[in-house]
Amino acid sequence: TNNRGAGKTIGDLIAYKNVNDLAPPRELMIQVDQKNEAILLPIYGNMVPFHVATVKSVSSHQDTTQDSNRNCYIRIIFNVPGTPFSPHDANSLKFQGSIYLKEVSFRSKDQRHISEAVQLIKTLRRQVASRESERAERAT
Amino acid sequence: MTDGHLFNNISLGGRGGTNPGQLKIYSGGILWKKQGGGKAIEVDKADIVGVTWMKVPKTNQLGVRIKDGLFYKFIGFRDQDVTSLTNYFQTTCGIVTEEKQLSVSGRNWGEVDLSDNMLSFLVDSKQAFEVSLADVSQTQLQGKNDVTLEFHVDDTTGANEKDSLMEITFHIPNSNTQFMGDENRP
Repeated sequence: TNNRGAGKTIGDLIAYKNVNDLAPPRELMIQVDQKNEAILLPIYGNMVPFHVATVKSVSSHQDTTQDSNRNCYIRIIFNVPGTPFSPHDANSLKFQGSIYLKEVSFRSKDQRHISEAVQLIKTLRRQVASRESERAERAT
Repeated sequence: MTDGHLFNNISLGGRGGTNPGQLKIYSGGILWKKQGGGKAIEVDKADIVGVTWMKVPKTNQLGVRIKDGLFYKFIGFRDQDVTSLTNYFQTTCGIVTEEKQLSVSGRNWGEVDLSDNMLSFLVDSKQAFEVSLADVSQTQLQGKNDVTLEFHVDDTTGANEKDSLMEITFHIPNSNTQFMGDENRP
């Protein structure tokens, strides 16, 4: 019951407890793990997890200038302290001195995969956010 | 070459993803060959500055740091390989291996560690990811607190990853003292 109390914050959300809770990568591409509420990003040959609660927004756009390459881009912005209404603010004292990953952007040739990733991340983010705010309300 | 250890299924990881290949570790150093030929990496024992092990999902990753600042990572070792290679490095090469831990908590805040051209993002003192500054084409300071790293676009290395990292931005709050007034920060 402790982790359901009023003290529950974003900082308590953990994507994985152990290294072996992650599946070995079948393909190095952006993935969404619904069960663990995580997004997985391919960085230098490893899949790097981020809890979806750290995500502030996600968007994609297609490169229209280079028709031959048809690249598309996905941008993921993470929560950092100091932004208005950031859920992190209550926490930023706790993690004072930390450096935050604020933003990443990836290029892909597969537009369908990118649009799907954007939708999955948005949906999961909404689900987790509404669950967490309900939980916070119940606690008060 | 009869001495040493040969591994048939070891991937070289880096910018662009991973490449499968064969790795030989022998008294003279380390030799990795890409499956089907092509790229090879040869490291002389004398050039090795540090060797690290890290547990990654369902397997182990060997990190080899060499004199000129380059860092190679080889993925695909079983737990028993780690034990035998740790002994081999120590007895045959006189190298003591270090253990690194991978962060999987999914947090986006931690520390940045810069050493030998590598930038590591550490969460709870465990490594979440690392990138090579040699691949950074441009850095930009945005506002007072944000630093963006832009990565080279490289289509030539036989990358197997579907999505390629282009940009990373770190937010350094005013409360951080590590990089205060440091002109050389990334």
